Amino acid sequence: MKGFTLWFTGLPSSGKSTLARRVEEILLERGMNVEVLDGDEVRENLSKGLGFSKEDRDTNIRRIGFVAKLLARNGAVAITAAISPYRDVRDEMRRAIGRFVEVYVECPIDVLKERDVKGLYKKALAGEIKHFTGVDDPYEPPLKPEVVVHSDRESVDESVARIVGTLEVLGYIPRVSGGDFSASEEETIKRRLKDLGYI
Amino acid sequence: MLKWFQQPAERACVVGLDGVPCSMIRRFTQSGVMPRLADIVARGVLYETTVTLPEISSVSWSSFMTGKNPGEHGIFGFTDLHPGTYTQSFPSFRDLKCDTIWDRLGERKMRSVVINQPATYPARPIHGALVSGFVAVHLDRSVFPARYLRLLRDLNYEIDLDAEVVRDNPTALFRKLHELLIARERLLDALWTEEKWNLMQVVVTGTDRLHHFLFDAYDDEAHPEHQNFLDYYRAVDAFVGRVYDRFAASGDGRNFFVLSDHGFCRTRHEVNVNAVLEQNGLLAFAAPDATGLDGISERATAFALDPARLYVHRRGRYPRGGVPEDRVEGILDELTALFSSLAHEGEPVIRRIFRGREVYHGSEASRGPDLLLVPVNGFDLKGRVRGREVVVPRRLQGMHTWDDAFVATGRADLVPQGRELTLLDVPQMILKSLHVEPMDS
Repeated sequence: MKGFTLWFTGLPSSGKSTLARRVEEILLERGMNVEVLDGDEVRENLSKGLGFSKEDRDTNIRRIGFVAKLLARNGAVAITAAISPYRDVRDEMRRAIGRFVEVYVECPIDVLKERDVKGLYKKALAGEIKHFTGVDDPYEPPLKPEVVVHSDRESVDESVARIVGTLEVLGYIPRVSGGDFSASEEETIKRRLKDLGYI
Repeated sequence: MLKWFQQPAERACVVGLDGVPCSMIRRFTQSGVMPRLADIVARGVLYETTVTLPEISSVSWSSFMTGKNPGEHGIFGFTDLHPGTYTQSFPSFRDLKCDTIWDRLGERKMRSVVINQPATYPARPIHGALVSGFVAVHLDRSVFPARYLRLLRDLNYEIDLDAEVVRDNPTALFRKLHELLIARERLLDALWTEEKWNLMQVVVTGTDRLHHFLFDAYDDEAHPEHQNFLDYYRAVDAFVGRVYDRFAASGDGRNFFVLSDHGFCRTRHEVNVNAVLEQNGLLAFAAPDATGLDGISERATAFALDPARLYVHRRGRYPRGGVPEDRVEGILDELTALFSSLAHEGEPVIRRIFRGREVYHGSEASRGPDLLLVPVNGFDLKGRVRGREVVVPRRLQGMHTWDDAFVATGRADLVPQGRELTLLDVPQMILKSLHVEPMDS
């Protein structure tokens, strides 16, 4: 099987890592070689010492993209889960890697501030963290991502099902029989069938 | 001019009208409600068809798109059981075991555009473009290629109406039905020129929804929604007419097909098939408070899934199945006798009973039901578990029928002669109209 890169992008705490890990589980179950390059982990090793200036952020993304490209070239699925806030560098990675699927994890900033699981938005708003994306650093949403998931109003299962479904439709992973619907999709389908008297 | 030269030589156009009975088409084309379809029929032919069993959209459309019976394509209902369990499953497009006519055309580099096709969710690649219909949930899993997702969003395209919102609100229902019809046409307009196609296909599903919720308004002139019912059909007719005009503008228009996937009639009562089994000692549950088949007892010899699919509770096939193979025929005889004599207030409930092996052929046939019940019109058979009464008041106004579906086409020369038509003939006619050999079945 040919490798490819699944590139998650989105604001801090929007759910990129959670979704990346769930997709990783599914692809591993399907017998693929998968590696997750998580933004936080990369900054602890591969990009240790880099800051949050535009230049350093771009360097970080290019390093992640470089590793992803090597993994994909060797038949693995590289899943990246970093904020990757700048569109031009993401598009540069798309061109460099080739087999590239971009997933935009969209969540309104107000919801993220409210949710603030790690307490980072609170600190950033208080000025305790500088260059925080979405607060005092920009985030440029992708213009043509292959998948957009809405983590404020979709369940993780629903989003994962859509991502995996897209990978199947695009031919990056083989289709499997059965289990095509997420739990929430099944609930929706069940309700519709009941409404029309079919069950 | 360039576009004209680029158009493929062979083209066909198909409009599906979900759940529209042939008898209704005959009435509306004669009474002036559907003048454009009347004109199309006058130029060609209109035939009644029967459909595959059970007579529900997911099965019928799967049969249409493959040209095969459920014993081959493997879709026996909106629901099924996970093999070896009593757990309900919801078959998807990926469970379809056969190639579709769009795959067949794709093998010959012929492109299809398919809009609002039920039983194609989640969408998968075809040579052309596919937008799934019922039971599609998410728009972005309902479209291939993915690049058309933006178009769908730009058009504010919706897959279906929300039955909970409209079922008791006729004003909202008709507003939504017209909106959905417009949405289909806007998408068709866009893809008509965007894609270089050989087969253009669109399905109108609002007809089926209208019938479920307001079939009483069909032929009751005093019904407060009667005129709205007719007006919706006038809109559907105008839509069909515009599609035909557009298609005929680039040729002689003969390869135009209009069809339905099942008939429809007014519901008078609902009939709980499992209650019949339970009251006759053929279905039992391990605990009195069991609410699903997972509570079935080892003593049960049969059970039903919606709408009227009967399964013998075979040993080895089901976890608590106790019926050995050598008893199956005897139980089928017993079930046939039981349901043949089922009556309500002196009126028979069941019109015909088929053995699964009579109607299903192919590698998937053994997964299908053992017995299929076709009711007398008006008795809507249900497979709900633990319904205490056999005959209960209807919840919806209309029900599907196995016969009284239709096909209209300008290609009278392709209609099989000397026998009654079935839904399975229609995809073969479409392929022949494009000079592609039919699906073998």
